[in-house]
Amino acid sequence: MSQPIAEFKQSQPLTLGVELELQLVSVRDFDLTRGATDLLGSMDYDGRFGEIKLEITESMIEVSTLPRTFVDGIAADLVGLRQALVSQCARNHIAVCGGGTHPFHRWAERRICPGDRFDEIYHRYGYLAKQFTVFGQHIHVGCTSGDEAIWMTQALGPYVPIFIALSASSPFVDGEDTLFQSARLNAVSAFPLSGQCPALRDWAEFIEHFSFLQACGIARSIKDLYWDIRPKPEFGTVEIRVCDTPLTVERAAALAALAQSLVRHLLRTRPALDTQRHLYVARYNKFQACRYGFDGQISDPIGLRQVPLRQIARELLAVLIEDAHELGCSAWLQLLDASLAGEISDASWLRGRQAIHRNLNDVVREATMRFRNKRSMHLAEGPR
Amino acid sequence: MLNEILSSARTAWEGLQERLFFLPPFPDELDSLALFSMLLVVGLLVGEWLRAKLGWPKVIGYVLAGTLFGPSLLGWISIEALAQIRPMADAALGLLMLEIGRRLDLRWLGENRDLLRATLGEITLSFTAIFLFAWGVVGLMAAWAAAAAAVTMASAPAVVLLTVEESNAQGQVSERIILHTALSAAASFVVFAVVVGVVHAQYSDDWLNAVAHPLWVVVGSVMIAWLMALLARLVAALLPKRSLAQVFILVATALLAVGTARMLAVPVFLTLFLMGVILSFSDQERTLSYTNLPEGHWLLAIILFVVVGASLPWQDFTWLIGLQAIGLLIVRAVAKVAALAWAGGDLGVARRVLVGIGIQPLSATAVFMAYEIAGLYPEIGRSSLSLPLFAAAIMELAGPALCRFAVVRAGETAATDNSKEGVA
Repeated sequence: MSQPIAEFKQSQPLTLGVELELQLVSVRDFDLTRGATDLLGSMDYDGRFGEIKLEITESMIEVSTLPRTFVDGIAADLVGLRQALVSQCARNHIAVCGGGTHPFHRWAERRICPGDRFDEIYHRYGYLAKQFTVFGQHIHVGCTSGDEAIWMTQALGPYVPIFIALSASSPFVDGEDTLFQSARLNAVSAFPLSGQCPALRDWAEFIEHFSFLQACGIARSIKDLYWDIRPKPEFGTVEIRVCDTPLTVERAAALAALAQSLVRHLLRTRPALDTQRHLYVARYNKFQACRYGFDGQISDPIGLRQVPLRQIARELLAVLIEDAHELGCSAWLQLLDASLAGEISDASWLRGRQAIHRNLNDVVREATMRFRNKRSMHLAEGPR
Repeated sequence: MLNEILSSARTAWEGLQERLFFLPPFPDELDSLALFSMLLVVGLLVGEWLRAKLGWPKVIGYVLAGTLFGPSLLGWISIEALAQIRPMADAALGLLMLEIGRRLDLRWLGENRDLLRATLGEITLSFTAIFLFAWGVVGLMAAWAAAAAAVTMASAPAVVLLTVEESNAQGQVSERIILHTALSAAASFVVFAVVVGVVHAQYSDDWLNAVAHPLWVVVGSVMIAWLMALLARLVAALLPKRSLAQVFILVATALLAVGTARMLAVPVFLTLFLMGVILSFSDQERTLSYTNLPEGHWLLAIILFVVVGASLPWQDFTWLIGLQAIGLLIVRAVAKVAALAWAGGDLGVARRVLVGIGIQPLSATAVFMAYEIAGLYPEIGRSSLSLPLFAAAIMELAGPALCRFAVVRAGETAATDNSKEGVA
């Protein structure tokens, strides 16, 4: 049954919210395990850091922070949510970790969570729903109006490859090295309404476009739009959906800092947009970021050339210094800058552990320790 | 009818022997390998048929096949043949006990104290309730009542493991069924060792044996288990994790432990269980943690349960003892479910009750333990332990079904149930 789009709820500009989809793994072999419903059912948690809720399969759990003005608040929520989840998982003899894909689970063994919505998704998408056992980070940034949210959706589009490369943490699928830095987005691409928001100019055009999709029977609710960036009228935000869940909550907070600084910069400078041209190269650029990460070559449809992703990412971080300073999140951006300079990503860390262990079970075991903040190698401490 | 056919075959054979000098004497008994294959095929077919037609766990089919063809009913499997196959059954039980031991992670109890309370409650209540029933209601002597309680207080690790595997079950109810099964098995083994001493003290004045035998059982099992676990880890560390070579090392050291335990008259099930626990606890480098038993252990499980089915003393069945066995099972069931419902930790009551139902099976280890104790004093023990043996016989059939019911009802079996795709 089709649902009308909710009225756009006005938010404080630049407020932040973060959602993380996390993996539930067995402590015996570190394969994904089914346990989300019992985990939540027996959990004694008062919601002080945000929500912990079910996702599509029993091997996933989603945490979402409260809306916060500053990145430090997001980081504190994420640490609190992590602590609550880690201790509850220990009571249930399971472990939790980040990462965009589980390196070796068998998707056919996944089980859809109880619930009408999940049931409906499974019946509509079949096995794609089980293959959708991938784990992403969604970043919400508050907007003052629907028009601003649509403008921001378009303005953020060209920066999608940077978010992908900085968050990439899914090099392994089905026990194989995919040669991708982020293989997770390939699972998302299979859905019919994935991809980019068309070249819409304002909220009215968005409503018109969505009504068209509903009339054609393609979409029923806004949740059917699996766009890389989309407006979220119920929250009054624009939602960046392309990030893999990082291996640490600290990197998740750093990505939120990037989003907040970038949105402030865009609102402040109001650059002219050429959305249609960017749409022509969007899929190519996304592929480059997923496949090669920092080594990707990004197509510039305005300058008609290719630029190394590493270069544009470093230039962007340099441009955002002032905005980050104003928002009090410079230290978080420095973490990303350091990882760019050191060519350290979560994907390369996972590959490094695999090179040492030659065993993906041990790689996931170390990922759970890293998520718990035990023996983390980098970006573990957060800014001081 | 069969005898007539055999008789005429023998006459014909002996007639041929006069002219064909290479012919061996007429084979009076089936070669053990041939018998092994036949058991495998018959057990497998009955198990698969019951699974496909009635949705019952395959283990029930294996036990039924053993019971039907065993000495109690058709007699196609003789007592001598059973003795011949026993090493294979020991190997199968040993591998399954090794696996349940490897799954016992005592650190979980440290993280969740509710579980410790639940398991202590379940063990204490089960033993006490069964002992009081056997002693106060059935009228067994205290030592044999304690033996009956030691044998039947625990769940059946092999049945639980196979049922959970067969159902492809995963989740908190399944995990807790396995945990409580392993812990109650451990407790049962300790009580069993003590009871061995008590039985000696009761029936002979030989205090040396009363003390030395339980010590032999416990220390012998621990030593063999520790040595084999060490050997397995040392050799496996030289090989890639999860490699076929590691699987081979795991199985080979387990079989070595089975053989050594048999040589030294130490219980196989206890030794292998301890080997699994030691492997689980001492393998800090996770050398063997990810290495699973080969799928073929299902084939050995068929032999195990056919042998168990054939070992059940149905020829001694009387209605009185049948009723007493049912009484024991009811008392045991109430004790287990009540303990779990009362102290089962942070799961909802309904799911705690399902854990209590899931740990109802009573099987191979109980039967083997009963025969182990009864073997000490055959003239008294056999009749005194017919109560737990018949309880085990009934639960051989009901136990797997109850365990399966629990994991299915808990919603923890996979949607893509591969159990209909064949044994392996």
